[in-house]
Amino acid sequence: MTAVRIAPLVLAALAVVAQAAAQDRQAAEAAFKNSVHAAAGLECGSCHSGQRAGAYPAIPRGEIAVTCASCHSDAAYMHRFDPQVRVDQMSQYLTSAHGRALLKGETRAATCSDCHTAHAVMRVRDPRSPVAPRNVAKTCAQCHADAERMKLFGHDANVFTDWSSSVHAHALLSRGDTSAPTCSTCHGSHGATPPGVTEVANVCAQCHVREAQNFTAGPKKAIFDALGQAECLVCHGNHAIQPPSHTLIGITEGTVCATCHDASGKGVATIRNFRDSSDGLEAALRSAEAVVDRAEHAGMLVDSARLAVQEAHEQRVQSRVAIHTFTDQPFTEIVATGLEAARRAEQAGQSALEELQNRRRGLGIATLLIVGFLVTLWVKIRRLPVPPPLSDG
Amino acid sequence: MADRLAAWRRERVPLSAFEDVIREKTVPVHRHSYAYYLGGMTLFLFGIQVGTGALLLLYYRPSASEAYESVQFIMTRVPFGWLVRSIHAWSANLMVAAAAAHLFSVLFLHAYRQPREITWVSGMLLLALTLAFGFTGYLLPWNELAYFATRVGTDIMTAVPGVGEFVVRFTRGGPDVTGATLTRLFGMHVAILPMIATVLLGLHVWLVQAHGMSVPPKVEDSASRSGRRVSALPFVPHFILREAFGWTLALALLAALSAFFPWELGVKADPFAPAPAGIRPEWYFLWMFQGLKYVPAHVMSIEGEAMALAVIGLIAVAGLTVPFWATTERTRAMARWGGVAILIMMAVLTLLAYRGGAGD
Repeated sequence: MTAVRIAPLVLAALAVVAQAAAQDRQAAEAAFKNSVHAAAGLECGSCHSGQRAGAYPAIPRGEIAVTCASCHSDAAYMHRFDPQVRVDQMSQYLTSAHGRALLKGETRAATCSDCHTAHAVMRVRDPRSPVAPRNVAKTCAQCHADAERMKLFGHDANVFTDWSSSVHAHALLSRGDTSAPTCSTCHGSHGATPPGVTEVANVCAQCHVREAQNFTAGPKKAIFDALGQAECLVCHGNHAIQPPSHTLIGITEGTVCATCHDASGKGVATIRNFRDSSDGLEAALRSAEAVVDRAEHAGMLVDSARLAVQEAHEQRVQSRVAIHTFTDQPFTEIVATGLEAARRAEQAGQSALEELQNRRRGLGIATLLIVGFLVTLWVKIRRLPVPPPLSDG
Repeated sequence: MADRLAAWRRERVPLSAFEDVIREKTVPVHRHSYAYYLGGMTLFLFGIQVGTGALLLLYYRPSASEAYESVQFIMTRVPFGWLVRSIHAWSANLMVAAAAAHLFSVLFLHAYRQPREITWVSGMLLLALTLAFGFTGYLLPWNELAYFATRVGTDIMTAVPGVGEFVVRFTRGGPDVTGATLTRLFGMHVAILPMIATVLLGLHVWLVQAHGMSVPPKVEDSASRSGRRVSALPFVPHFILREAFGWTLALALLAALSAFFPWELGVKADPFAPAPAGIRPEWYFLWMFQGLKYVPAHVMSIEGEAMALAVIGLIAVAGLTVPFWATTERTRAMARWGGVAILIMMAVLTLLAYRGGAGD
């Protein structure tokens, strides 16, 4: 009797499970249809095995990387699709924090399908791919911005928010510069791991070559190394890196130099020189730009002025690079060149504005002549004889 | 010496018939006489457009890759190029204003009455041509504002049922505003429209000459009631000197506007860039642009934009045919008050557009 009562419930539960499984299968098939794997002629059975009643069981999380590697680590096989393709992903993955955790049996660690998706796998250069440059940070944030999940591993969950406020995120997401760094640029993709104290400078130097050269040749390198400081990070931070600004320099509160230096310490004269000269160049540049903008908006030719503004801009960038030597020269010389360019720009802008004034003066004289002609016309009109009334004819 | 020269010219270029007409021509004098100067003012500004336009043609290059740079070259390198371009742009705007003022003065003073029906129709067509000149010329500097305003402006035409898509494709020279559109609009601006305008303008001026200046019915009635004749000015030199006064004033205004408010070139158009905020057409199309914002998506199951364009079309047809239906005192009053209503509507919508109404 009891079995008769329970049977419909069991059947209903089985039906629900079967329906959910069918829906999952349909969703997976739909996603797979647009994937790079489908385009390469792969099928469900290429990854899944053990089909039962038309359905494939999911691949256990611990086996996903191995399954992917069965093709992606096979150079001979992968070259059939792309002769330039890399096949070191699995070996890289095994060196990563994710891969090492997985090897230890931590199945919550990220594996291939977490970043690339399970079925809708696309090429990295496809802008729809979750690992395309503009999407990487969001993909990493799925786990790394999850406070509860990160707490389990003792990680900070603010990294995505910090990076989003950085000059790098602005360049990548707002300006669309896909060469701007995202998570994988500094941490690696398959071999993702946080760079150590001694490695940070090498990571930043991948792009900031001259800053790194200046720093290495300068007096600070030895001091930072002795203190075990992570070079670039000390002044610029790691994820929330802000645009370079002259306001970072100084010994007043809020400046990065003040973190270590005070007004009585060694190197204060150099810091003051950096700040005062940078302030001067910044002010000269702004003033020149304002004049040139005004002249340009008034429709004047400002080609040479723009060129000089550009040169002053470049010198400002060079001076910021030179700051990484932590010595007065060549910084002072570069700033002087920048100031000269800014002065030339302002002068060219002023000349254009003077030319505009000359035009207006010329038109003022022309207007006076026109007014004189108008007065003459008016006098002539007033002196004309009064016309007779209109005749009927 | 002067007499001998005049005699020499008379023998070789006989213009006595024309001279007689000019000598005999008079212009009525009454309290609405100011309206007689508006047509001449429009003609003067048209002349300025032809002159400055011809000068701009010497340097302008009608292609997407060169148009902006060539206008920049005109404004910065060509001696007085900045002045010629600014006068051309300002004069275009003043010409639209003068033509509209001329139209409404003729409407309000009932100067379209028999036998001036064709004069009115040719004048209305000339106003439409003036607007077409404005529309086709707006894109030619190939700057951001002009590019997106042209895209929005041509998009509106797609709402016209049946022919809308074709008209838009024909105007743009393809599905979107591109270099082909620029070349096409340039062709219209400097060849097709001037050709039609010359014919219509010739007809219009000749008809004005043939029929003489119209005297408003009220002035005519009051003169006949008092038994006095309406005073008249000889066309030469009385009227023509007054016209010259107005034209010189317009020239001074153009020079001042060009010197103190030079027409800006803006940023070069980038078809792949998103449309910047605050895109709107020239002020004379603003009322229509703003009006369309208030139209609901559907009116009685008809697409709202199509319905609005139908209403504007009906107003245009009613305006074009005024002399044929406003033939009695009552219908003429209807035409006048209809004109007042349209003028108020245009002014209010334009004002709203400048103040940024309806989600602008």
